[in-house]
Amino acid sequence: MIFVTVGMHTKSFDRLLKKMDEIAGTLGEEVIMQIGHTSFRPKNAKWFDFTTEAGIKEWCKKSRVVVTQPALSILEAQEQGTPVIVVPRLKKYNEVIDDHQLDFARHLEREGKVIAVYDVDKLDVVLRKIDLKPVKLVRDKRLVNALKKYIEHFERS
Amino acid sequence: MDAFEGHQTFFITYDSARTRGLEHKYLLRNIGTNPLIMAHAFLYMLRILLQERPRVIVSTGSEIAIPAFYLAKLFRIKTIFIESWTRVDRPTGTGKIVYPVSDVFLVQWEQMLSKYGKKARYEGAIL
Repeated sequence: MIFVTVGMHTKSFDRLLKKMDEIAGTLGEEVIMQIGHTSFRPKNAKWFDFTTEAGIKEWCKKSRVVVTQPALSILEAQEQGTPVIVVPRLKKYNEVIDDHQLDFARHLEREGKVIAVYDVDKLDVVLRKIDLKPVKLVRDKRLVNALKKYIEHFERS
Repeated sequence: MDAFEGHQTFFITYDSARTRGLEHKYLLRNIGTNPLIMAHAFLYMLRILLQERPRVIVSTGSEIAIPAFYLAKLFRIKTIFIESWTRVDRPTGTGKIVYPVSDVFLVQWEQMLSKYGKKARYEGAIL
């Protein structure tokens, strides 16, 4: 199963969902999509608009691969041990307000954290690879500990 | 939520399937760049802050932080802003707007430090 998720972003991401729906018609593997605020309605894939955090994690867990935008959904998939392919939203298609997702995808790709696909026409080939490997999520408690420290400091002052 | 253990908390966030299940919450509609909705959000935020009287506000962003942090300044509520993990070296509009009034301003990539002033700190990321 392939799970496609575009989060709560308020702009439409038709480019990704149209291509994934097209692929769903030829791949012979079930494709499930969380379409959020995207206006395109898939025909070959099963879809829903939003679900809970637990719902997203459950779909990530059940899937062979998760296709998503470079955002926190990456961590939700990696937490479940599922390989992630990211497709950045691009400003030129009015999918996002600036190209930070493009920068972020390149950055994570360089660090070997995700497979990044910039041209949706290449998704088909990448998805047909059977050797997609998950990246182990290395937990980092520094930020949580820093927050605790600041909050305690403010509570005392 | 581990960071808030032992403290009473409430959420101010956007209305969505994901946030409706939260226990103690105030849900707003998306502010975006609409000035009228922003003005309305300021009034609603004022009501929330007067009712809840929080000691500290922590935000990971989006425009909701703007009314929250500026009103917090007025009421001397401490604020902690955490810039988005998806931003490696490109600040958010909200980050730039709330930077001057934040008591603590954290970024999640070291490369981002040079894009903000001296106040910004890097203390790891949301992993």
